[in-house]
Amino acid sequence: MSPQVPPARPERSRRASLPAPFEQSRNPEPQPDRGPQNAACIIGPLALIAEITHRCPLHCVYCSNPLEMKSRAAELSTAQWITVFEQAAKLGTMQVDLTGGEPLARIDLTELIAAARAAKLYTNLITSGIGLTQERLNALAHAGLDHIQLSFQDSAAAPADEFAGANAHEKKLSIAAAIAKHRIGFTLNFVVHRGNLARLDEMIALAENLGAQRVEIAHVQYYGWAAENRSALLPTRAQLDRSLEIIQAAEARLRGRLRVEYVVPDYYARYPKACMGGWGRKLMLIDPSGEALPCHAARTIPNLHFENVTKHSLEWIWQESESFQKFRGENWMQEPCRTCDRRTLDFGGCRCQALMLAGDAAATDPVCSLSPKHELVTSILYRVNESPEIDTGSSQMATLVRPSWIYRPNPS
Amino acid sequence: MPRPTPESKPRLAPGCRLSDAAGQEATLLMPEGALKLRGPGLQIIRACDGQTTLAEIVKTLQSQFRQADPKKVESDTAEFLEQLNARRAVDFE
Repeated sequence: MSPQVPPARPERSRRASLPAPFEQSRNPEPQPDRGPQNAACIIGPLALIAEITHRCPLHCVYCSNPLEMKSRAAELSTAQWITVFEQAAKLGTMQVDLTGGEPLARIDLTELIAAARAAKLYTNLITSGIGLTQERLNALAHAGLDHIQLSFQDSAAAPADEFAGANAHEKKLSIAAAIAKHRIGFTLNFVVHRGNLARLDEMIALAENLGAQRVEIAHVQYYGWAAENRSALLPTRAQLDRSLEIIQAAEARLRGRLRVEYVVPDYYARYPKACMGGWGRKLMLIDPSGEALPCHAARTIPNLHFENVTKHSLEWIWQESESFQKFRGENWMQEPCRTCDRRTLDFGGCRCQALMLAGDAAATDPVCSLSPKHELVTSILYRVNESPEIDTGSSQMATLVRPSWIYRPNPS
Repeated sequence: MPRPTPESKPRLAPGCRLSDAAGQEATLLMPEGALKLRGPGLQIIRACDGQTTLAEIVKTLQSQFRQADPKKVESDTAEFLEQLNARRAVDFE
């Protein structure tokens, strides 16, 4: 499976500041330059998202992979990936997120993790768990894997398998039990949407019972396959309000035992998300073929050329390439972003969403209430909230009005 | 477990470790991100071995930072560890 939302570590919105003992508290991250940025003052990338394959045994209806996936034949070799990790570490990158597709589909995964650790990177495996045997888990632990983010599609097997398009839920339960026996960081990830929000309490309880340190509750972000299924996935306002109550109660109840992380649904937000922590500011994604992208969906932006790590150094791509500079800083911004006080907080929102909804990648993200095209979003939400036949999973109609999902297929 | 007691033995949680990259500022690596450390913060994290009690950590710091109010050293250290515990970066054994 793939991360359904941009892995968002550096851009968590509710970051409580830690008091540094006996001195002024310090920000863990480099402070962004307040003025317009140029390539010379860009640090990082802080984290590298290594999409090592698009192959996956699951077919999730909200997968963030592009509609056009890379084939097995196009994938980078082991040696090429190792070079990428070594270059990233030299650039100051601290963490690599190994994702896909399903990263376990690469038989050299253990080797890749050992190499990333040897390059002094923090290693995070984002996985469905399918393909993870006891032996393989031992090998990954031995290679120095720091953290596993295991995805679940629901707390109940039948709907989970429906959203995944595969019989996976029961296997995940036994894999989770095996992971919890290792001293590896363990996060359970649930992507939530209209079809499963009714079971949010049970999802959090499952994370508690499976011995995870963290649970990530991430609303679907509407890119890739999720955009194809948007009308069946968007939650109602009432569901959203209820989910916030549940999250807040769980955070208070589980403090010190289970960390609850929450990714908001930006269609309902007043202001847009700081997508990827700002274009070309913190994160770099390398796709299975070695193409370097500023975000998961960047390839949807027309007339933008992306460089390949087999042809250019990571440093050059990050600092100099046209694609990473395109929406870096503020010079590309239109009104109202250009003069908005929030431009250094959210960077105008998501470029791919601006393209998808407003037809212009340089426009203000239409989810922003200040966008002149915000009505595009409010009209979508109006249809979700006013439509009487919407199935929220709680009525007896639920089994009668199953959505016709568009499932993510497997690349060749 | 909201607040550590003097007998608590803090230990870095699974998935959390001090960066071993040479020539770089000490950094606590966590699933949620990284925390650059120096001074007493770094000393506290180094002492999170699951063996040393909070009382022992505080006593060492108090003897080292004689200019600081001993009560503040104690409360700051407990709060620092409590917040890291809330992030599931530190466990209390």
